[in-house]
Amino acid sequence: MSQAGTLDIQHLSKSYPVKDGDLAVLEDVTLTITPGEFVSIVGSSGCGKSTLLRLIVGLEEDYQGQVLLDGERIVGTSLRRGIVFQEHRLFPWLTVENNIQLGLLNADLTPGQKRLAVREHIALVGLEGFEKSYPHQLSGGMAQRVAIARALVSKPEILLLDEPFGALDALTRAYLQQELHRIWQAEGITMILVTHDVEEAIYLGDKVVVMEPRPGRIRRIVPVDLAHPRERAAVGFAEVKQQVLREFSGDSASLAEPPLRSDAVEPQEPQQWQFAI
Amino acid sequence: MSAQQATLELPSSVSSSASPTASSLSAQEPRARFYSNWSPRWLALPFPLFLLLLWYVAAQFEWVAPQVLPSPQSVALTFIDLVASGEMFDNLKISLLRVLLGFGVGLAGGLLLGVAMGLSPVFKDYVYPLFKAFSQVPVLGWLPLLMLLVGIDEALKIILISKAGLVPIALNTFKGIENVPARYVEVARVLKFSRWQLLTRVIFPAALPPIWNGVRYGFTHAWLALVVVELLASSEGLGYMIVFGRQLFQLDVVMAAVVVVGAVGYVLDRVLARIEIVLLGWRRSGF
Amino acid sequence: MARSSSYNTQDKHPVPKFLRGWILPALLLLLWWLAVKFNWSTSPLLVPVDKVWDTAVEQFRSGELAIALEASLRRDLIGFVIGVSAGLVFGVAFGLSRLFEWMIGPTFHTLKQISLFAWIPLLSVWFGLGDPAKVAFLSLAAFFPVVLNTFEGIRSVPAELVEAARVLKFNRRQWLFKLILPAASPSILAGIHLALIYAWLATLGAEYLLVSGKGIGNTMIDGRELFLMDLVIFGVIVVGFVGFALNWLAAQIERRLLAWRGRSVAQF
Repeated sequence: MSQAGTLDIQHLSKSYPVKDGDLAVLEDVTLTITPGEFVSIVGSSGCGKSTLLRLIVGLEEDYQGQVLLDGERIVGTSLRRGIVFQEHRLFPWLTVENNIQLGLLNADLTPGQKRLAVREHIALVGLEGFEKSYPHQLSGGMAQRVAIARALVSKPEILLLDEPFGALDALTRAYLQQELHRIWQAEGITMILVTHDVEEAIYLGDKVVVMEPRPGRIRRIVPVDLAHPRERAAVGFAEVKQQVLREFSGDSASLAEPPLRSDAVEPQEPQQWQFAI
Repeated sequence: MSAQQATLELPSSVSSSASPTASSLSAQEPRARFYSNWSPRWLALPFPLFLLLLWYVAAQFEWVAPQVLPSPQSVALTFIDLVASGEMFDNLKISLLRVLLGFGVGLAGGLLLGVAMGLSPVFKDYVYPLFKAFSQVPVLGWLPLLMLLVGIDEALKIILISKAGLVPIALNTFKGIENVPARYVEVARVLKFSRWQLLTRVIFPAALPPIWNGVRYGFTHAWLALVVVELLASSEGLGYMIVFGRQLFQLDVVMAAVVVVGAVGYVLDRVLARIEIVLLGWRRSGF
Repeated sequence: MARSSSYNTQDKHPVPKFLRGWILPALLLLLWWLAVKFNWSTSPLLVPVDKVWDTAVEQFRSGELAIALEASLRRDLIGFVIGVSAGLVFGVAFGLSRLFEWMIGPTFHTLKQISLFAWIPLLSVWFGLGDPAKVAFLSLAAFFPVVLNTFEGIRSVPAELVEAARVLKFNRRQWLFKLILPAASPSILAGIHLALIYAWLATLGAEYLLVSGKGIGNTMIDGRELFLMDLVIFGVIVVGFVGFALNWLAAQIERRLLAWRGRSVAQF
């Protein structure tokens, strides 16, 4: 069991400079997450949920407001906050176990302890036997499981998941949702899941944070007081789902996909790791 | 550029890797379907044999003067002669040494330049425009200038060969590093890699495919430059043999040397291809 | 704002970005000028910068440049066109017909191994020393890359598109012109671009090795033989410009014809 932490997001706002002025991506987001909680965030495209995650993990800077982990302001990235992206982002030139081991590269452990941790986490995600495989040999679901193992191996306090199953087929998704739930119960760490699958959000989360776009802000927080394991067909489940979906129905524009080419957001970031001289 | 390396492999390797593509539908033609049941290797023989026969007959009946078209037998005999007398081997050795040295210099220089430009945007801002300007002039364009500056001995050859290799290697290395997907760099940031770890564990492996592509392409150009410079300004080497034979209208010597040039070029490229498999064996279709 | 843990390093360099590219060339020119002014070398090779300019102007005025350039480019174009046409035919044949590929392929593949310039002495015996030999050589130079890239382009038409065409019952002609060639066009154009580069390289080489006649390469050879460094440098600059122009032209054409590809990696 790792030390779970309290995440305190206070009046978080972020905007990008674009051609005429600023584009507000997030506006005054305030949210508290207790240790060991599983929080699902749903919203249509463009509501800033991915940006929110990237701010929490430290990949984006330059925001207003503050994000506190256990009372301390977060600064950049940290091994205490792990993330699983939508693409598995495994390094193709490394085997499964070497990929997972990357999570421990800068951890304060002996090589023996590292090997043990890697083995444990391979078992945790159910991929025994695939230690020496390369990413291209794995299916999408398996690769994503490796990504989860890599994120968990350093025992972070918080695990962020940015639409981790979005690129997978429905059956694999259902299976991985179960797996994620099992892992969460086994590890007991705080998890924040961003998704636009409402059922997935309710299946996994202790509460569902509904966000709306333009600018991104929290519309409503729907608590999910259902016992585990949850049945999607059950009445209680359907009620919660109703509550969540109702938040979307009034505003069909919020469900609509943004135009394909948005020249507004995503300014060209210069390569950030190169030397100054 | 890498398409240039996509040589026509032995037919079996193409058909074995084939997914249903356009060409497999040509097998709908009855004749082609019939042939496709036969072993492809077999089929490679008729055409060259036919050419050989044509050659033999042409030489035998002197359709053209023997100085213009020596008979295949005489070429074969001359080849054996040259090998036996050691002349072939001597010239080959000289050419090989030249190309290895020149290419080595070009490789080192190209990698250094490419890495510097890739890692330091400031360095790139200073150097890339000039580099780009210089690379507009093909290797041969520099030949007369260099001849004036350094004469026609070894220095000329080494410089030209290394320049031929340096440009594609530097360019590919630079672009390879610049194009490392940001996705991987973000993973490194989240996992708190130090800068050194980022460079050695992420940037370098990710940039290796395009870098190696540049190396193979650079070698092709270096070999090309070797042949040219030996044709123009040398008193030894394979190129020299070709020119010498030509002057004396001994086309059998010329052909023997050309065959060796082709064979050696092929072997060296295969070596590089082999190394590629070792280095980049983890690669399959796309990331 | 908190200091980030990113690898971000601000560009703190004093010299502004747009100036940086000019500094090295300016320095080189300066060095050159100083070397002339202070006679760092007594070699006749050290020509003053303005002499090169004078030579350039004179070459231009006297029409020498036009003659040389025209000769070189004419040969280049003819050889290029022949080579590309033949290359397309062969490439399509290889791509569409397994039989053709199996029978002719290995021979082609073997001949391709022979370094381009090694062909010149043979060609010079068979075609003489003048333009025909040069054009033959240029055609050869353009031929190989086009064949290879066309073949690869045709072979890599995605199976999904092929199946769609089957369902739509394309006939032979539609097959070739509406599916295969457009889908293979990126590769084919890449091959043609390469052919352009190699043909220009070959033009120069041909002029060095088959010395009769006029051309930019010949200009430089003459300059070398008469130790006229200014003429040689002038030639280098012209060659560079032509190379640049050819590349630019090819890129523009590629961009126009392949506009359908869009910015994304997904091509369909």
